[in-house]
Amino acid sequence: MLGIRFDKVMPVLTGASLLSIWTLDFVNLQPNRILPGVGYSLQDAVGWWSMIIVTTLLISAFLLSFSRLSLRRWLQLFIVTLLLVLMPISLSSFAQNHIPETLTHARTGLGSAFWLVFFLLVLMLIELQQKLELSRSIYCFIFSFPLISTVFIYLMGGLDTLAILREYGARSDQFHQAVHIHIALVGGAVITSILLAACLVAMMRKSTTAQKIIFPLLNFIQTIPSLALFGLLIAPLGYIASKSEWLQAMNVSGIGWAPAMIALIAYSLLPMVRNTFVALEEVSESVIEAAKGMGMSPAQVFIQVRLPLAMPVILEGIRITTIQAIGLTAVAALIGAGGLGNFIFQGLGQAAMDMVLLGALPILLLAIIADLFFSSVMTFFNQHTKQSGATKS
Amino acid sequence: MGKQETIARIWGIPLLWLSCLIIATFSFPYFEEIFRQIEPNQRQVIYSRDSFFTLLLNHLSLVGIAATISILLGVSSAIFVTRPFGKDFLPLVSQIASMGQTFPPIAVLALSVPLLGFGALPTILALSLYGLLPIVRNTLAGIQGVDAAVIESARGMGMSSFQVLRQVELPLASTVILSGIRTSVTINIATAAIGSTIGASTLGDPVISGLVNGNTAYVIQGAILIGLLALSTDSLLDRLQLRLSARR
Repeated sequence: MLGIRFDKVMPVLTGASLLSIWTLDFVNLQPNRILPGVGYSLQDAVGWWSMIIVTTLLISAFLLSFSRLSLRRWLQLFIVTLLLVLMPISLSSFAQNHIPETLTHARTGLGSAFWLVFFLLVLMLIELQQKLELSRSIYCFIFSFPLISTVFIYLMGGLDTLAILREYGARSDQFHQAVHIHIALVGGAVITSILLAACLVAMMRKSTTAQKIIFPLLNFIQTIPSLALFGLLIAPLGYIASKSEWLQAMNVSGIGWAPAMIALIAYSLLPMVRNTFVALEEVSESVIEAAKGMGMSPAQVFIQVRLPLAMPVILEGIRITTIQAIGLTAVAALIGAGGLGNFIFQGLGQAAMDMVLLGALPILLLAIIADLFFSSVMTFFNQHTKQSGATKS
Repeated sequence: MGKQETIARIWGIPLLWLSCLIIATFSFPYFEEIFRQIEPNQRQVIYSRDSFFTLLLNHLSLVGIAATISILLGVSSAIFVTRPFGKDFLPLVSQIASMGQTFPPIAVLALSVPLLGFGALPTILALSLYGLLPIVRNTLAGIQGVDAAVIESARGMGMSSFQVLRQVELPLASTVILSGIRTSVTINIATAAIGSTIGASTLGDPVISGLVNGNTAYVIQGAILIGLLALSTDSLLDRLQLRLSARR
């Protein structure tokens, strides 16, 4: 060997993509919601020419890994983005060629090859981003191309036959309501737990006894599985509500939003309190001493020095809490809290997979959006504190 | 005498939860009167489609199988990407392990149904996939956290790379790996309970059936058992972790 070694990741990922489009179903077509679907491979769905183009693109990405071109990773990035852009277009061309206008209830389901190739292409993007050390903004810029193509094809009506959109069309009001409830529950729980956590942390900073009680208690709650906690709240809450007219007037009962909210807040407290407490404790004493030496009052030291320095870790706590609450709210649908989990459990009950997807995919999307939002706020905050720290020193 | 005292101190809490779990599993039928107070209008107040013991065993075996798969796959893939021949994959794998945690377990569970259908199999798949992430992440952190000087000196002593892995890297990383396993198992016990909505028989059955039929007594029975199972397992793993770190 000449001592030249090639990166194995891209060949593996492109190889797997090739294998899946040549062996698995790309889409399947259901004449209506009930009848079972018929699978189509990529060449059946969009024709030989498209198959050859996609295969060529994947093989070139594969071969580029073994070239010594300095631009090889950029070329691969271009191919991966192009393939992602082509995915919604392929769906639209499938609908045009295979679904006659007369079949108004026909649904296009995404096949295993579609999901796998999508997943593998995203992995390739992540891989290339890491190896090329792309910044977040360039990354977002690249991601905007497939997004634009999807939105464009959607607006052109090319995705109308997609099963999940058919399902959405059939219950769009319900869907919007579910999204609102979901976000309201998550937002309410997160905001309440921020306020409660602030009080608890204040108590814990005053007394070590409070620390000894609060941490084990919150840990205990966090250990109890969500289904069990929701279930255990039904009886006591139902009992209390039956005794109080005021609570009944607020629509509180053993099932519904009230037990869901209580459980969500209880779960949210641990990550929030833990991160806030640790962050505030870990601000170095010398910094605090310096601030005191500059003549700052204790309140000023807290607001201008301790809190900003602790902020990134506190924000991380809010991020974890929000993502956790998005998932738990889905489970809360079981006790009648509403939200997107309703579609999951109703869909599972009726064996209607498109309905399950209509619940599960938006939940996934919400979690990803929350993650992106808080990590960008954290990045912004980190840069900001660094800059202001640099100018002050 | 002294030895017995330490055993009680170390394993006391897990043993307490475990005995509560076992007592509850077998004694619910004897508390019919109390459950009747909660649901006076129901004909039946003790869940009886399956015995609680069967449900507990099913729940444990689902989580056990899934945990075995995740531990084997997770630890070996983390080892793979930290060896020279697999290190190309390290950035990708560690990125996936941290990003994957963003996905709510319930969404993963729901998405496994269109792929595999209903039953225990999709539950096991979802559990083991999701449980993989904390194990991979912690194993990576544990192995990467081993001081390079320690590895150098082990090599200097003439150890082969396999011996370095077996006798130096894995033992030093073991506490971090165990804490990943603990996270993974805790999440999986909770997710397996929800698995009864996709047709796996678990301790979630009484809860779901109680919610559907408006029988709070069933819900409480299931919820208590799920809670006790989670507390026993978690405290057991917690103690194991303490023992392991005390030994070093």
